Amino acid sequence: MEKWMHNKKILSGVVIALVILCATTALIYRREGGFDQVLEVGIFAGSNWGVANANSYVIIDKAVAKFEAEHPGVRVHYYSGIRKEDYSEWFSRQLLRGKEPDVFMVLGEDFNQFAEIGIMKNLEPLMDQDPTFDRNAYYSTALRAGQYGGHQYAMPYETMPTLMFVNKSLLSREGIEVPDNDWTWDDMYRISKYVTKDRDGDGILDQFGTYNYGWMEAVYANGASLFDENGTKAYFNDEKVMEAVRYTRQILELNGNKKVTRDDFDGGNVAFMPLPFAEYRTYKAYPYKIKKYTKFQWECVTLPAGKDGGNTSAVNTLLMGISDSTGQEKLAWEFLKLLTYDEEIQTDIFRYSQGVSVLKKVTESAEAEEILREDMEKNEKVIDNKILGEVIENGVVTPKFQKYNGAINLADNEINRVIEDGDNLENSLRILQRQINQYLRR
Amino acid sequence: MQRIKLRDIRVAMMIVNFIAVSFVSLFIYRTTENICEEYQAREFLNTVRAIPGNPLFTVFIAVGLYALLLLSILLRERIWVNNTTVAYGSLVFDFLVSVGIVWALNFNYNGIFFLVFTGVISYAKGDKGKYLMICLALVSFLLTDRELLSINYKMYSIYDYINYYDASTQQYLIGIYNVLSSLNIILFIVYCIFFIQKQKGTIEEVNMLYDEIRKTNNDLQNANKQLEEYARITERMGETKERNRLAREIHDTLGHTLTGISVGIDACIATVEQDPSETKKHLEMISGVARNGLVDIRRSVNELKPDALERLSLEAAITKMITDMKDITDMQIFFDCRVSQLKFDEDEESAIYRVIQESLTNAMRHGRASRVWITVERENSNIMLTIKDDGIGCAAIKPGFGTQHIRERIQMLNGTVEFKSEDGFTVSVRIPIRWGEEYD
Repeated sequence: MEKWMHNKKILSGVVIALVILCATTALIYRREGGFDQVLEVGIFAGSNWGVANANSYVIIDKAVAKFEAEHPGVRVHYYSGIRKEDYSEWFSRQLLRGKEPDVFMVLGEDFNQFAEIGIMKNLEPLMDQDPTFDRNAYYSTALRAGQYGGHQYAMPYETMPTLMFVNKSLLSREGIEVPDNDWTWDDMYRISKYVTKDRDGDGILDQFGTYNYGWMEAVYANGASLFDENGTKAYFNDEKVMEAVRYTRQILELNGNKKVTRDDFDGGNVAFMPLPFAEYRTYKAYPYKIKKYTKFQWECVTLPAGKDGGNTSAVNTLLMGISDSTGQEKLAWEFLKLLTYDEEIQTDIFRYSQGVSVLKKVTESAEAEEILREDMEKNEKVIDNKILGEVIENGVVTPKFQKYNGAINLADNEINRVIEDGDNLENSLRILQRQINQYLRR
Repeated sequence: MQRIKLRDIRVAMMIVNFIAVSFVSLFIYRTTENICEEYQAREFLNTVRAIPGNPLFTVFIAVGLYALLLLSILLRERIWVNNTTVAYGSLVFDFLVSVGIVWALNFNYNGIFFLVFTGVISYAKGDKGKYLMICLALVSFLLTDRELLSINYKMYSIYDYINYYDASTQQYLIGIYNVLSSLNIILFIVYCIFFIQKQKGTIEEVNMLYDEIRKTNNDLQNANKQLEEYARITERMGETKERNRLAREIHDTLGHTLTGISVGIDACIATVEQDPSETKKHLEMISGVARNGLVDIRRSVNELKPDALERLSLEAAITKMITDMKDITDMQIFFDCRVSQLKFDEDEESAIYRVIQESLTNAMRHGRASRVWITVERENSNIMLTIKDDGIGCAAIKPGFGTQHIRERIQMLNGTVEFKSEDGFTVSVRIPIRWGEEYD
């Protein structure tokens, strides 16, 4: 009897402890907003493309209003004021604490790692189950940017082709026309050679053909691939890559031993510079156009085509994904679809952001052209929407594998050294090829 | 004494496991907070293969499940002791809860299974079930090895979190982690050793008892041999007595008669020529003596070999016994033999004869019966013998009425006897006959 009383005491103690435990857990869950239908969204303020943007939250606010109207009882919440440079750290903190948003933006440099550690939901089942969704509406390059290991882990939200800035004032001074959108390496080499000179006669070159045109731009324009899809093999000793590096060296040799800087371009002394489309959008439009590049007239064309390639360049894409641990899969997908698939919202990208819509229909629409034209002066040539679409569609997406960043840094250092030192190109690339393959296998 | 020790080890294991579970979950929670406070989150993500969910939830889930595990052990071992359903049910429950804990900790600590093993070892009844459950538990321990699982599944590792700290702190933390894991395993091994020793103790006890039984058995066998010896001696004594009787009988009858005859004949020889008529008278006398002697000898022989059974077949002997009995009493006896050939082994025949003889005597003496029915029939390999009378029977069958004697005889042949005092008195005997020797 006494023993039973003793046991009863223990039992009631344990039961009380359990009740307290459950209550605390429920309370914490409640505090985290677990009982409300709240869709958490992770976005950053400002532009993804490193340009000034006054209209950070216009698109998202519009999307939220539309979404909340369509889904009564659902609240969409996002933390405002997170800068792009802080976003990665902020998001990682949320991730580590298990509080990551349901839908979130992913920076290009984070995508591979995040997909690798399995925190992003594989979107393919959601895409397949949705009858109103058609993946062909997207530019395939934009869609490919959100793929990792053969699966779609993120949807493209906004895309950004790389274009060639042309100093129109410099060219017309030299009696040269702005090149067409189907120009080639030879054209660029010819023009660069012609314009590279010492104008003030102090014995130092002060006018140049190119700034920031590197071997990778040449590789992309020559139709070459540096790696296979899975990042198991590199192709640095491929003839197309060699050709591209050889061409880059020739272009750079024109500058003699002078290192051309951004100041040279901003000062109006460089004919060509590859830059993202966003800069074109930003600095062609009021109020920023009075701040920069006021010393010369400029325009935008495609990058010159290599011998074996086309007028292609790297395409960057801002991606958005869904948390793998979200409890609101359907809602999250609906919201993600609204941001990336809704034509109205996507058109707003031309209006309030500096990127290009990921939807073919939107980018190539008359409305988009109209918006682009608003920024231009009367006599200026507007980049053709069709060509913009082609540049995106044919653009190069950097492969998505975990060691990509490491491998490309290694290669970049070595190739830049080879170009500067004038070593034997074939041998150096062959050695590099071995090194990179070793790195990939490790 | 040993039981207390086993329980102490288990309590120690529970404490160690509690510390380990709290350590792993709290450490990951605390480290996450450190990483976040120091703005190293993105950097840290580059070093991991996976990340846990909400680390604070993990702490609550792991510790909560552990509390459930302890509750289950408590219920099994303190409240519902000896309830097999509760024991097995709670063991399965323990196993599932452990899987839950291991899952929550993402396989960074699976020593909790050892705690479950101790429960399985001490409670699972029957060798087969026990070994099966131990196998299951061991397999689950091996299969939940983090290193093994991480080949195919993305899991976070406590080492990734430990590596966040500087080298000296790392050593310290790895030390704690390893000591907890090892301590748990050591306790488990100690538990097993104690458990085996306890079982060995039981086996020794059984062996001791067995030895005693064997000794007693030997004693019994010796006593039996001695009894046989006594029986042999008794038999020899009987033989001697019988020889003495034979000698006395020969001396008393044959000797006496022959002496008389030889003396008479001597006298006849002397008188045969002088007085033949006297001699004739003498010879007539001698003849009478000889005849008397013959009668005496016949009587002696009859006394020496008194049983009709030894001279006649069983059936004839029984018939003779019945006829004799009819002569001296007015009891009616009906003999019904349904066995074609009443020919058995000597001891079997003897038993049947004696049982009938004893029963008839009882019917006459105690039952005062006027009619008796004797039936002999075969049933399978048994002989069924029934002697029923219409006498007064007896209220209680007392030993000494010859019944005890009958019972002993029949039991010697592995048969059974049944006495029934109802409408007279009935003796039913069943004797398993060794038929195989029937045709010898």
